[in-house]
Amino acid sequence: MTSLPVLAERIVDAIGRLVALAEAVDDEWTYIHDLEAVWVARLRAVAADRVSEAADSTIEPAIDQLVVESGLITDPHRAIDWLSTLPQATLVAFGEEAW
Amino acid sequence: MRFQDAARDARTVVYAGIQADALVARMAALLDDATPSQRVLARAIMNGETVEPEPWRVAFPRLFGRAAGSGDVSVERSEAILAASLEVANRGDQVRSQFRGAIVEAVTERLLARRVPAEALRHERRILFDGVTAEIHPYDVTVEVPGAAEAYDCKWGARGISSDVLHQLDDARAHAAEEGERLLPVLVVFDARRSCEVRLARQTAPRTGTRLVSIETLDRLAGRRAVAPA
Repeated sequence: MTSLPVLAERIVDAIGRLVALAEAVDDEWTYIHDLEAVWVARLRAVAADRVSEAADSTIEPAIDQLVVESGLITDPHRAIDWLSTLPQATLVAFGEEAW
Repeated sequence: MRFQDAARDARTVVYAGIQADALVARMAALLDDATPSQRVLARAIMNGETVEPEPWRVAFPRLFGRAAGSGDVSVERSEAILAASLEVANRGDQVRSQFRGAIVEAVTERLLARRVPAEALRHERRILFDGVTAEIHPYDVTVEVPGAAEAYDCKWGARGISSDVLHQLDDARAHAAEEGERLLPVLVVFDARRSCEVRLARQTAPRTGTRLVSIETLDRLAGRRAVAPA
């Protein structure tokens, strides 16, 4: 079973790809990076609290699917939406509060 | 202070058609009683690219799979939200954006209707004050109760929070106070408070008098406490 911190880092990588895409929206540069900072911190905090926990068998496919979905985003504006949506969906998959 | 219907220009006529679409009402009815996690599901699908249902069931196992059976989640409602959200997503980028806005407004109205008399609940209204130039943009939803009025601006995402929006809401509150009236401005955002706070952190517009309702606290509109995540 894959651990939650490993799965969380897959999402962090996906967030990084969304940030790179969203940076094309010049006037939202600061907002984009602020969003990345707070949500990555939140995901890593959750993962750190459950570091010894093996993920439920449904969680890894869920995370992989969310990574696939975020990878389908090609529009920079949609990427900004996903910078907030992806961490919330991830936290739901983890069984945490989505905020 | 007085309320007035917004002028019916071309934009409002088109948008009124979207507001009246049965899919908006259906989605709002589903989200009204949804859990916070089901609302996140709706947000993800309506923001997403995939228009097939199965990948979403995989992405949200706690709402569809065997994990859902152990909690308070209604799989039937999750399936209905999935189907309706995919219908919105299938409308195409431009139209889906308008639908999403209309859905947030409709959910707001439904939740308020649990607390507020129907005759006091209106939408697309301007608020006029003596000696003050009227704002161009109407409020999405208003509660028109003497002495306890409320004005709502509804946004799909935190990115919709702007200086103009914050100024308009706060100006309305301030002008009402100048006339000895009470007006509570409220910003409803179908996004996590964490993202809203990120957006607000760099805004210099006044916000202390404006209440923020985010996706996790939507139920407060109805006067009920936010439910535990499920």
